[in-house]
Amino acid sequence: MLGAKSARSRSACGASILGVKVPALQYGDRKVYTVAAFNRGVGEWLARLPTVWVEGEVTELRRHPSWQNVFFTLKDPSEGACLAVTMPRGQFDGLRLDLADGERVHVYGRPSLFEARGDLRLRALTIERFGLGDHLAALERLKRKLAAEGLFAADRKRPLPRFPRRIGLLTGNDAAAKRDVVSTIVARFPAARVVVAETYVQGPRAAQAIVAALGDLCGEADVDVVVVARGGGSFEDLLPFSDERLVRAIAGCPVPVVSAVGHEQDSPLCDLAADVRASTPTAAGRLVVPDAAELADRLARSRAALERGVRRTFEREGERLRSLGDRLSRAPALAVERKRAALEHAAGRLRALSPRATLDRGYAIVRAGDALVRSPAQVGPGARIDVEVAEGGFGARVE
Amino acid sequence: MTEPTFESAQRELEQIVERLERGQAPLDEAIALWERGEELYKLCLGKLDAAHGRIDELARRVDEARPG
Repeated sequence: MLGAKSARSRSACGASILGVKVPALQYGDRKVYTVAAFNRGVGEWLARLPTVWVEGEVTELRRHPSWQNVFFTLKDPSEGACLAVTMPRGQFDGLRLDLADGERVHVYGRPSLFEARGDLRLRALTIERFGLGDHLAALERLKRKLAAEGLFAADRKRPLPRFPRRIGLLTGNDAAAKRDVVSTIVARFPAARVVVAETYVQGPRAAQAIVAALGDLCGEADVDVVVVARGGGSFEDLLPFSDERLVRAIAGCPVPVVSAVGHEQDSPLCDLAADVRASTPTAAGRLVVPDAAELADRLARSRAALERGVRRTFEREGERLRSLGDRLSRAPALAVERKRAALEHAAGRLRALSPRATLDRGYAIVRAGDALVRSPAQVGPGARIDVEVAEGGFGARVE
Repeated sequence: MTEPTFESAQRELEQIVERLERGQAPLDEAIALWERGEELYKLCLGKLDAAHGRIDELARRVDEARPG
């Protein structure tokens, strides 16, 4: 920026930016640099920085046979920060990396300034594809970090709805996983309503695509459970399912998520963040809907029990009524019997008071004519008397 | 009264069955329970039979390949 005042003297002079010699213009006591000089100065200063390894995802890879350099942008997958990288084309081709957008790499290089544009970039000396060991180490670090945040905690797990209104299914376009989930759901519960979102489930772009598809599914009306299904694959194939963005999206999903990714022995981090982990897509299908046949059975059993219950009540009431009727019909006879018993009792008592009972004990009644003999004076010798004992009577004469 | 969901209808049916099975309900109440139970049974069965399944496909996002 040159001042409009031509009165200011303009003279070239040398100056130093942090020890880098850059020519500057002098306007009185103000030292001014040209853009080119400034850029050169910063560039030279940057060139003193050490050569370092930088990790990131390759995006916007641009390579042209007529260009001297290959360009790409290195992107920080979690923070989104970007860094331009260049590498001489011959050197790049010599590495035979066959890099695709989204792949994770380590770039060894030094920062430099493209002076014509003032752009910072990393001048790559070599590039290494992120190896299996790196992935494992990174995964373990991420797992510990997310576990420490409580993302995998048991008390975060939500129960699945017993009768989902609509089931969201997120799969790749690999037909098998989708077919397994859908056919299991339909076979178990023909009335199920499923909304399917197909997306990339493999490769560098997959994680982002899955996160987007998950958001779409949750935005659908009535979806109250989501199944994330993907068939088995290599460790690298399943990496998107351990991507931090996806794991966080699953943990933060507004409805419960069933994860059915890979085989039993695989444990992508999305399994840990999901509310339920299914060992296979088929198992996931079984988890999200009830078995209609079982439901119908249970209903039929309930109805049978209902009938039994009512019948039992009727039988019990009938039994009670019958027994009342019996008692009622027996009541008159019972009353007569009771009266008879009372009568017998009275007769017994009456009998006990009659002379007959006295005779039974061995006493005798003596009569002379019609009179009872109570005194010896009533009968003289030779008089006839009648004697009555318990079992009969006989005549006798008095001596 | 709004129509109960399958889930709540089934639950009520099972409660009624349990009550009847305990055998303590007086006859009038048993009959009323039975009628209600039959009604719930038919409702559940109807819901099972009448609901139609549907599979919808969401359109694949075209912008999903863009780096965010």
